[in-house]
Amino acid sequence: MKMVSITSQSEAVPEVAQEAVGRLRILCFEHSEGDFVLLREYLRSADFKASPELVRAETMSAAKDVLLGASENGTFDAVLLDLSLPDSSGAESLVALQELAPTTPIIILSDNADREVAVRMVKEGALEYLPKDSLNAELLTRSILYAVERQRSQTEMAELNIRLKKATEDLMTAQTQLIQAEKMDSLGRLAAGVAHEVKNPLGTLQMGVSYFERRTEKMGEGSEAMISHMQDAIARADRIICGMLDFSRSDNLSLEVKGINEVLDGAIEKMQHLIVRANLDLVKDLAAGSPKVRVDQSKMEQVLINLILNAVQAMSENATGEDGKHQTLEISSYLAEVDEINRDEGIRHSERIRARDSVVVAEVRDYGPGIPKEKLNRILEPFYTTKPAGEGTGLGLSVAKNIVDLHRGVMQVENVDFGKGVVARVMLKSLE
Amino acid sequence: MRKKKILVVDDDVPLADSMKLVLEDTGNFDVCVETDSVSALATARNFQPDVVLLDIVMPGLDGGDVSAQLKQDPFLSSVPIIIVTALVANSEAGRDDGIDSGGQMMIAKPVRFRKLLHAIETTLVASVH
Repeated sequence: MKMVSITSQSEAVPEVAQEAVGRLRILCFEHSEGDFVLLREYLRSADFKASPELVRAETMSAAKDVLLGASENGTFDAVLLDLSLPDSSGAESLVALQELAPTTPIIILSDNADREVAVRMVKEGALEYLPKDSLNAELLTRSILYAVERQRSQTEMAELNIRLKKATEDLMTAQTQLIQAEKMDSLGRLAAGVAHEVKNPLGTLQMGVSYFERRTEKMGEGSEAMISHMQDAIARADRIICGMLDFSRSDNLSLEVKGINEVLDGAIEKMQHLIVRANLDLVKDLAAGSPKVRVDQSKMEQVLINLILNAVQAMSENATGEDGKHQTLEISSYLAEVDEINRDEGIRHSERIRARDSVVVAEVRDYGPGIPKEKLNRILEPFYTTKPAGEGTGLGLSVAKNIVDLHRGVMQVENVDFGKGVVARVMLKSLE
Repeated sequence: MRKKKILVVDDDVPLADSMKLVLEDTGNFDVCVETDSVSALATARNFQPDVVLLDIVMPGLDGGDVSAQLKQDPFLSSVPIIIVTALVANSEAGRDDGIDSGGQMMIAKPVRFRKLLHAIETTLVASVH
């Protein structure tokens, strides 16, 4: 009878394993008293530095108790599994054991009759199998020590693998950041170039418009309206250029510790006239004690102004609701715990908000028509706009997102059911 | 009252010329245009401006160099300079008064004529005191 094992019989018992592990604890599933005594004698007589501690389980149900108690009494270094237990057999035993002790090496002890089963067990994760009829002290010892050693290197490999994965992940994060930084850098240079080339001719046009503005009475009817259109056109083109500059250069934050409510109030104050003009009722619900965050106040105000502006524009079409009442703009702040965050391809950073972090939320909710689904996942892209031509540059939200990213925060824009308005949130790490 | 003298240093010829046209159109200013920054110092010495409107991005010497030259010249060092630049967004150039954090008057192109006038007048008043 030949043994099937990866190890060759001529190799010496690995000393390293013995020294590294000290006294071994072995769980032995053996129903037959005679076989158990024999195994124990083999191990006693074998060339171990310290004779292994052998714990016996006669049935699978008994094994469960022993294994579950193992954490208190110390874990097992190996399991010897006889395939014919009274309450469990073959594959069943192996699966049950692998679940109970996933990192403990399992050595199958097989009778001649179930050798095929044993070979299959090895394929399914048992470390090896030993035929009982050709078992001796040396073979058993060698197998156990090899099993322990192999398990140790497997565990080590798994740990290395985890570290490798982490290193790869870090590398990818760094790469993403680098690509993002390069993108921003080239966008910055492009924006500065375009700004210079476009703003000069715009400046000339602006001077020209001012020049003719002083002469409208000589130019006749319609000239004032024409000049006003030209003025608007220049302003529009300039807004796009400025948006590009803002977008490419929002990287210098001057961070201070501020209460979120102060930042929100700053934005609301600057938008008050628009809210009034759009005939909206403003409902403020700000967190007690104004939770502290680390922000660049003017940049964050720019973000919130953007969100408020979008909300006002979404509702200004029909500021008076169906019931004849004014529509409501809700602005709130509160503390929350993050349950899950969808990662995006934006700036990834170790300081970013993670699940279960405590965050401060600034929220703007409108009761406008909502954003069509197919547009919702694009609204944070630069130059994407849902507004009629000329009304938006398509840069506002992407600039806002960029600023929030730089704060290591998260910006979300969601429909409240479809057609019941939009809620836009900025989440920043809480300092509370 | 003597017309105030304004030196415009900008390599963009149409823009510099249109600034001259519209400023002189008010009847209050005498405007000299210099589109070559390398000659700006010499032009300034001849013209003795009350205010300099200075572009930043120019070939040869940039606005910073020209500004430094003017500040070092004993006869021109007290002449106020207004930076008129395409490099900043309006939000950065101080939307209302055009004064940046360093105390340097800076306005963003394209500048509205009223804002330009306001900046010039503010600067002139400040330089008298």
